[in-house]
Amino acid sequence: MLAYLGRRLLWSFFTIWAVVTATFFIYNVLPEDPARVIAGPQARPADVARIRTQLGLDRPVHIRYARYMTGLVSLKKPPADAKDDGAWKLGPVRIDLGVSYLKRKPVTTLLAKALPPTLLVGFLALAIEVAIGAAAGMLAAMKRHGFLDYGTVALTLVGISAPTFLTGLLLQHFLARELRLFPLDGYGQTSAEQLHSAMLPALTLGLYGAAYYTRLVRDEMITLLKEDYIRTARAKGQSEWLVVIRHALRNALMPLVTVVGLSMGSLVGGAIVTEKIFRWPGIGSLSVDAIVERDGPVIMGVVILFSSVVVAANFLVDLSYAVLDPRVRRR
Amino acid sequence: MRSIRTRTEALVLLLFCAACSTGVGPPIGEDRPGDPQRGGVLRTAFFTDVRGLDAATAFDTAASALESLIYDGLVSYDDQGKIVPVLAERIDVSPDGKRYVFPLRRGVTFHDGSELTAADVKRSMERALHVKTPCPVPSYYERVVGYAAYHDGKAEELVGVKVEGDYQIAIELSEPDATFLHIMALPIVAPVCKSAGRVWERTFASQPCGAGPFKVTRYENGQIIKLVRHEGYWDKGKPYLDGVDWYLSMQSFTQRFKFDQGDIDYIRELSEADSLLYRTTPAWRGRGEWEPSLTTGGTFMNTEMPPFDNRHVRRAVSYAIDREQLAGVRPGHVRAHAKMVPNVLIAPEPEYPQQRFDYATALEEMRLAGYAYDPKTGQGGYPHEIPYLAILDSYAQTAAEIYQQQLAKIGIRIKIQVVGWPTFLAKTGRRKTAQMGFSGWHADFPDPSTFFEPILATKSIQDEESQNAAFFSNKELDDVLDRARRSTSTDERKALYRRAEAIVADEAPWATTYTYSYLELWHPYLHGYRPHPVLSQHVRNAWIDAGQKKLARRGARGLPFLDRLVQSGSKHARTTLALAESGGSR
Repeated sequence: MLAYLGRRLLWSFFTIWAVVTATFFIYNVLPEDPARVIAGPQARPADVARIRTQLGLDRPVHIRYARYMTGLVSLKKPPADAKDDGAWKLGPVRIDLGVSYLKRKPVTTLLAKALPPTLLVGFLALAIEVAIGAAAGMLAAMKRHGFLDYGTVALTLVGISAPTFLTGLLLQHFLARELRLFPLDGYGQTSAEQLHSAMLPALTLGLYGAAYYTRLVRDEMITLLKEDYIRTARAKGQSEWLVVIRHALRNALMPLVTVVGLSMGSLVGGAIVTEKIFRWPGIGSLSVDAIVERDGPVIMGVVILFSSVVVAANFLVDLSYAVLDPRVRRR
Repeated sequence: MRSIRTRTEALVLLLFCAACSTGVGPPIGEDRPGDPQRGGVLRTAFFTDVRGLDAATAFDTAASALESLIYDGLVSYDDQGKIVPVLAERIDVSPDGKRYVFPLRRGVTFHDGSELTAADVKRSMERALHVKTPCPVPSYYERVVGYAAYHDGKAEELVGVKVEGDYQIAIELSEPDATFLHIMALPIVAPVCKSAGRVWERTFASQPCGAGPFKVTRYENGQIIKLVRHEGYWDKGKPYLDGVDWYLSMQSFTQRFKFDQGDIDYIRELSEADSLLYRTTPAWRGRGEWEPSLTTGGTFMNTEMPPFDNRHVRRAVSYAIDREQLAGVRPGHVRAHAKMVPNVLIAPEPEYPQQRFDYATALEEMRLAGYAYDPKTGQGGYPHEIPYLAILDSYAQTAAEIYQQQLAKIGIRIKIQVVGWPTFLAKTGRRKTAQMGFSGWHADFPDPSTFFEPILATKSIQDEESQNAAFFSNKELDDVLDRARRSTSTDERKALYRRAEAIVADEAPWATTYTYSYLELWHPYLHGYRPHPVLSQHVRNAWIDAGQKKLARRGARGLPFLDRLVQSGSKHARTTLALAESGGSR
């Protein structure tokens, strides 16, 4: 068991290292100069060169890589009089993601600020898609070949096909601009304002995901409703709703739970388009700005955060397999 | 039953029509010119985020608009775009043009309440030009005596900046520089509070402190910057506004929705479609103004690479481009313009022949270049396809498509390569890499020199990172530009820059073709604002008519959907309901 976990842990670290290394080299071999972006398109060459030196971009790429990696995870203690550099501290381990080229703030600070809004919208969206998906899928399966079923199937087709920038704009137009039910955009200052502002981006994402989940639940339910134990339950005289909810839906939700579990990791990555439309200050907005402005440290920070969460989620899944399945433990 | 159903259908149709209508709302309030009123908060927005508000480091357009509210400099521009003293009482220039003396106003206070002295001015300049400060444009100040030693970290102080008592500062230059007062008007060297320190620290960017009319109370990246009036501002009675709320990273369609609702008072970043919508809406006719353009756009031709190493080909391109067609694609925003310097900076004058569309002469120039082209048969012309670099999602991409069609008519076939800004800069700045592509320039400061020296002078050529994308070198032009920079005579400078225009028109390293401008709109209750000839979004003298603003708030409470249903949608309603009453026979 321990050997198995040790191997999985090593693989996890290797995966993160490989992702970080690949991203670093891809970013650094592009024929683009972050110093020029920082200085502006009209900056004079002498000024661009100075910025390049200040950022250490005048060094060879392997030296920059070595400096980045040694700074990324270290055990050294900063001097007592050193100012707070925003590094994350896990016991004796310091994780320093550097400083944003453009915003001139520690990347850890930027990520820590962007993560809560992203998680808020992510979990709200997840709740919406699961609730709508389960309910609509169940109803469609119950009324198979009826108007409700065809209508649901058609709507899910539209939901899956419509890009979020279209859904987002439509929701913004009707619910925020026309009916003034929600703010047009922004984050708000109080928790209530933030929750209120999160509804539109969450609905945008949720409707998109709900279309998938509806189809998943509908198909599962159609199969389950033909099972013997359902027929037995009906034969016992239970009402149709009771049969569907107590016996069929519970089983139909199993694959849904699996899919939801797998999609948890992507929540951290943020929703790039949706966050931009609604001026939501999450990881998605941070990523877009960083990519557009070639803000290397922020790009690296987002990649490290995202890959770490995905790898950690996979590790936990592996761990649960080992706990649940004795054959895995013996490997 | 049929009647009810038809009525229901009619109502649904009506609701749908009303909901889908995307017309713009009317202006809020009425024009009631009167004495400026104090009070109110102006709300506006940027499409982009602001990188920071430290005067020494933030130099993008968005930051500059905010910095002009937070920081006052020794000098700035009046409403006509003329340099005037601000924190300085006056400007004394020595006869040789190498020494500037700025006696300071007394009683000027920073946002933290401390008094501004000459030592603060020197400290702020040294801080901005310090070797460790990531200032994007320190070399603008290279003619200040002692700049090189100080900026390289070899000297402790900037010796050319002299504190002469508490209220006078003198700046010595190594040679006369006609642009010096313009670079002193940039926020880069504006005095900052003592809390900014002598050396740049990144924390100051989020707690900026200057001597301008507004101070920052809230700054959230990507969300909002809130400013409130600096009560100790030296210009008594100003600013009129209690504050300014500047939203960041707001999409242009959201800006428009908020402007319609009166949640934003002033808007500049309209999409092309919305701009057209406002201009064609009767209620908005005659409202709003075009921002004066300090830009020039066109196409560069690399004079070191064939076929543009041949002057006749370059001239053929310049003759072959019909600039009015470019303007027709985006009327209003794009204007045909064939000179390097925008008309705002030098009084308009007749174009040179090479800057006018002349198809016959273009064909003749191609013949002289050895690439004769017969339009009837399509035979001849330059035998190879020329890659043309354009920038993604910009007007440059549209312009490139028009050039492609126009140049094909003289036998020059271009293949458009659309790239992002960073790639564009990397490729065009590398020697013998990019043959042809978009060229555009925005004035760093309002002086003609900024449209020549950085982009067409020999000294701006480098093997990498060259600003001179045409790699154009002309001894006479270099000499003219040098003389113009040193000259202190306005008339002489004008004459020299006209000569520079003539050289560029004749040699055609660039085919200048258009300028780009923004439409600015504001509700009638906002007064005291007009687009400034130099400073973008300069709202410091704006004031709000409180009575009219109440109308905006009242309007904002209503639902546009229902408003349209009752008001502008009534025509639809009458027609549709009448149709329903008649039994829906149509």
